[in-house]
Amino acid sequence: MSEPNVTKSNGQSTVRAAQKPSAKLWDENATPRHRIQWCPGCGDFGVLAALKMALTKQEVTPANLLMVGGIGCSGQIRNYLNGNAFHGTHGGALAYALGAKMSRPDLTVIALAGDGDTFAIGVENFVHVCRRDPGVMLVIMDNGVYGLTKGQHSPTHGRGMDIKEWSEESPPPFSPLRLALTAGATFVAQSFSGDPKHASEIYVQALQHKGFAMVNDFSPCVTYNKFNTYDWYREHGEDVSASHDPANLDAAWELLNDFDRRGRLPLGVVYRHPRAKKAVNRLPLWPEELQGADVRPLLQLFR
Amino acid sequence: MITNHLKLLVGGVQLRDGVVTVTDVLGRILTRAGLYVLAMERGYASTIYGAHQYDPMVIAEQPPVSWGDPALDILVALDYDSNPDASQQPNRDTVLRHGSHLKDGGVLVYDSSTGEIPTEALERRGIKVFPLPARNIARDELKLDVVKNMVAVGALFRLLEFDRDVTLLRKLVEERFMRKGQKVVDTNLQAARRGREVVETVLKARGWTGTDYHLEPRPVTEPRLLISGNEALSIGAIQGGCRYYAGYPITPASAILEFLEEHLPKYGGRAMQGQNERESIRAALGAAVAGVRAMVGTSGPGLSLKVEEFGVSGMAEVPIVIVDTQRAGPSTGMPTKSEQADLSLVVFGGHGEIPRIVLAPATQEECYTMMIDAHNIADKYQCPVFFLTDLNLSEGRKVVPEAVFTQTAVRVDRGTLVREEDLRRDGAYKRFALTPSGISPRLVPGTLGGIFKVTGSEHDERGFVSTDPATRKAMMEKRARKMETYLREDAKPPQVFGTPDRKPVLVGWGSTRPVLLDAQQRLRALKIEAAVVHFTHLWPFPTDVAKAVLGRASVIIAVEQNFSGQFADVIQSQSLLPVRRIVKYNGLPIYASDVVGGVEQILQDGITHVRVGTEAPAPVRVSEGD
Repeated sequence: MSEPNVTKSNGQSTVRAAQKPSAKLWDENATPRHRIQWCPGCGDFGVLAALKMALTKQEVTPANLLMVGGIGCSGQIRNYLNGNAFHGTHGGALAYALGAKMSRPDLTVIALAGDGDTFAIGVENFVHVCRRDPGVMLVIMDNGVYGLTKGQHSPTHGRGMDIKEWSEESPPPFSPLRLALTAGATFVAQSFSGDPKHASEIYVQALQHKGFAMVNDFSPCVTYNKFNTYDWYREHGEDVSASHDPANLDAAWELLNDFDRRGRLPLGVVYRHPRAKKAVNRLPLWPEELQGADVRPLLQLFR
Repeated sequence: MITNHLKLLVGGVQLRDGVVTVTDVLGRILTRAGLYVLAMERGYASTIYGAHQYDPMVIAEQPPVSWGDPALDILVALDYDSNPDASQQPNRDTVLRHGSHLKDGGVLVYDSSTGEIPTEALERRGIKVFPLPARNIARDELKLDVVKNMVAVGALFRLLEFDRDVTLLRKLVEERFMRKGQKVVDTNLQAARRGREVVETVLKARGWTGTDYHLEPRPVTEPRLLISGNEALSIGAIQGGCRYYAGYPITPASAILEFLEEHLPKYGGRAMQGQNERESIRAALGAAVAGVRAMVGTSGPGLSLKVEEFGVSGMAEVPIVIVDTQRAGPSTGMPTKSEQADLSLVVFGGHGEIPRIVLAPATQEECYTMMIDAHNIADKYQCPVFFLTDLNLSEGRKVVPEAVFTQTAVRVDRGTLVREEDLRRDGAYKRFALTPSGISPRLVPGTLGGIFKVTGSEHDERGFVSTDPATRKAMMEKRARKMETYLREDAKPPQVFGTPDRKPVLVGWGSTRPVLLDAQQRLRALKIEAAVVHFTHLWPFPTDVAKAVLGRASVIIAVEQNFSGQFADVIQSQSLLPVRRIVKYNGLPIYASDVVGGVEQILQDGITHVRVGTEAPAPVRVSEGD
C-alpha cells in the first residue's frame, strides 16, 4: 500500500511551494495536525492538502469561508483547517450550504462530505442542488465505504470489482458523475486525492465556477476498503484529455461511455457549462437593515 | 328584527360552486361597511373538486367574542346539481348537512336551478325559504356561468336589506373585474340585480315583508383589515426581520409560502419552495448559520420529517422559527381539519435534550405581534422557537384594526450578535463561551477577527468536537441555563380572566381563547362562575407562575382540541396539580356550547375526561320519494 502523494514523488515540491506562504494561516483555528483523527494514510489527507492549495490560490480568507461538513470521517476535515464551519445532520450538508449561499453570496461556501452522506442518505439534496445550481463547491471524499461505522458498503462500493451476481442487499455501484449530469449539474469533475496537485487544480476551477461545482474525489479508505486502494486508483485513473470540450454535454456523456468501455476512471473536468442566473445580493441581516420595514403596502391587500 | 348580529353559512361543491367567492365578497364589503366579520371555520376537503365545502361566518356590530356554536341564522346552499360526493341528493347536499342547524325563524337560500327541494319540515319551524335559480340565471340569461355567485350575493343583500344603492358592491366589483373590461363588471352587477329580483318575487308571492335579519353599515372610524392568521404572521415575519423562508407545500401552511414568495423579495429577502420538508429546514438553518433571520413553516406530517433538525438547532445553537399550522393527525390524518395535537411533538420531539421555546398565538393579532417576538427570542436564545397555530387560526379570517399592524412598537433585536469592533476589543472569540445566562456571543461569517466552528456534535467553547465529561456537563448546563434566563426575562405569564379562587378554572392555549371567554359568559348566565387561564407561552412551562394561579382553583379543566389533553399532561407533570379535560378531536372546531356542556358534566358527575362532539349532527328531516 502506498501513502498519498503529498509527501512523495513530483507532487511534493508543488505542495510545499503552494502551502508555505500561508501554511500558518490555514493552521490557525484548527485542530493541530498531530491530533487529526484520520487513519495514517487516509485519502482525506490528500484532499486537505489540495483544499488548502486551492483556497490559497483563490485568495480565500478564513473569515469569508464557510465549510459545511458531512457526517463521517470526511466531514471532520472542516475542523482541520482555518475558516468558519458548520456540521449538522447526516445527508444535510448540501441543503445547509444551499441556504447559506442563497443568503450570503459574498461568502465562499463549500460542502465537504463522503459518498454515503452525498449519495445514500443525502441523495435527495444532491439531485436538487444540481438543479438549483447555487455557487457552492462540493468535494465528495469517495471511498466506497462507511468508514466511521467500520466499513459498511456505500452506494459507490463495488467499483471495478469482478462480481458475477448482484443482489438487492448488495447492488452494483452507481456513477456519481452520471447522476450529476442527469440532474443538471453545471460543473462535474473527478479527482484523486493521491495526486493533490492535480486535485487542487480541479478544485480551483470548481471554486471559480459560477454555480454548483461537484468534484468526486477518490479518497481511499486504507482501513476498510482493501480493493479500491491508492495503487488500484493509480492503475485505473486516467486524466481527461486536453482535447475534451467540457462545455459540450454530448462530449461529456461520450467521455463517460468511453472510459466505462475501457474500464478506466476519468480524472479532470468532465462537464462545465455555467448557466445564466439572476444576480442576487446579500440578504439584509444587521438590525439597522431590518428595523422599520414598511409593511403598509401589504396591508392594503386586506382592506 | 335582528340587526347586525347573525351567523351565516355558505355551502356547495368545492371549486364548482365558488363558496369562498361568496364569503370573500361578503367579508370584504361588510368590513368596509364597518361591521365585524369572524370566519374562523373553514369547511373544505382534501380534494380539489367535488367534495362538500362550507364557509361559516359570524357578522356582528361589535367584535364577536367567538364563533359561537353550530346554530345558524342563514344558510346559503349553492349546489345546483348532485355533489359527486353524495350523488343521490341533487342540489340538496348542503341543506341535508346543515339544515338542522338553522334556528327556528332562520333563512334558507338554495339554488333551485335543477328543481325545488322539499322544505316543509324547515318551513314548519318558521324558516323562510328562498328558491333561487342562480345557475340558470347565470348560464341562460347572462351567458356567464361563474356569475352565479354574484346572483347569490345580490339575493343575500336584498334579504338583509343591505347596500340598497349597490355602492359597496359596485366598488368591489369594479376593483376586481375592471381589468377584464366594463362588460364583465356590468354582467356581475346584472347578476346581483337578478338575485335581488328573485328575492323580491318570493317575498311578494309568500306575502312576507322581509326576513328577521337586517344589516346596517356602521360609521368606519379607523381602517380595518379582513385577514387570516397565515397572512398576519407572514407580515409579522417581514416586520420582524425574517429574510429567508423555506417551505414545502402542505395544507394549511402553503399560504405562508405563497405570500412570502410574492412579498419577501420586496424587502430584500428570499423565499424558497423546498424539494422536501428536510431541505426546507436545512436550507433555513444554513441561512441562519450565515447570519440571516430564517423561518420555516409546515404542518404535522412535515414537522415530523423535520424533527432531526430540531436537535441541530438546539445543539449547534442556530436560531430558527418553526411555524406549525397544526392539522388533524396522525399520519396524513385529516389534512383540512383543525386540531391541537402537535404540542407533545414540539415540546418533547427528538432524541436527546435541547432548549426550545414554544409559542402559540390565540388570534390573528397575536399571529402578527408574537411573530415579531418569536424572531427576537430565537436570536436571543439561539434555539428553535416553535410557533403553533392551527388550521382554523391559519386560514380563518377576521376583522382586525389596521392599527394593530401600524401602531405596534417593533424592535429588531439580534441578541448577542458580535461585530468586528467587539472582536478587536475582546480578543479570542469563543462561539460557545460559558456564560451565566447560558447565552454565548454569536458571529456572522465574514466578520474579521473571528472564526466559528459550529456543530451538532457535543463541543467545547470554541466549537471543536469533545466528549470530555466535564465539557459535556458544562455545555448541557449552559444550554439548559438559557431556558432559566428565558423564563426570567421573556416568558409571558398566562392571561387570567376572572378570579380563580375556589372556582372552576378553564385552561386553554392557542386559538381556543375566544371560545373559553364565550363559554365563561354563557356559564355565568347559568350561574356558574368560572375563570379562564390562557397560555400563549407554553414551553418552557412557567411552573411557578402557573402553580400560583391554578393552585387556587376548585377544579382545573383544560380544554383542548386533541384526544389525550396534551397541555393538561404538561401542567399536571410540571405543577403536580390534577387537571381534568374537555377534549374534541372530530375535526370540527370547539364551540362554546361544547365547553359549557363539558363543564356542566364535570361539575355534576365529577368525571375527569369529557370527549365532546361524538354524536353526528342529525340530518334535516325531509319527505322522501321526490
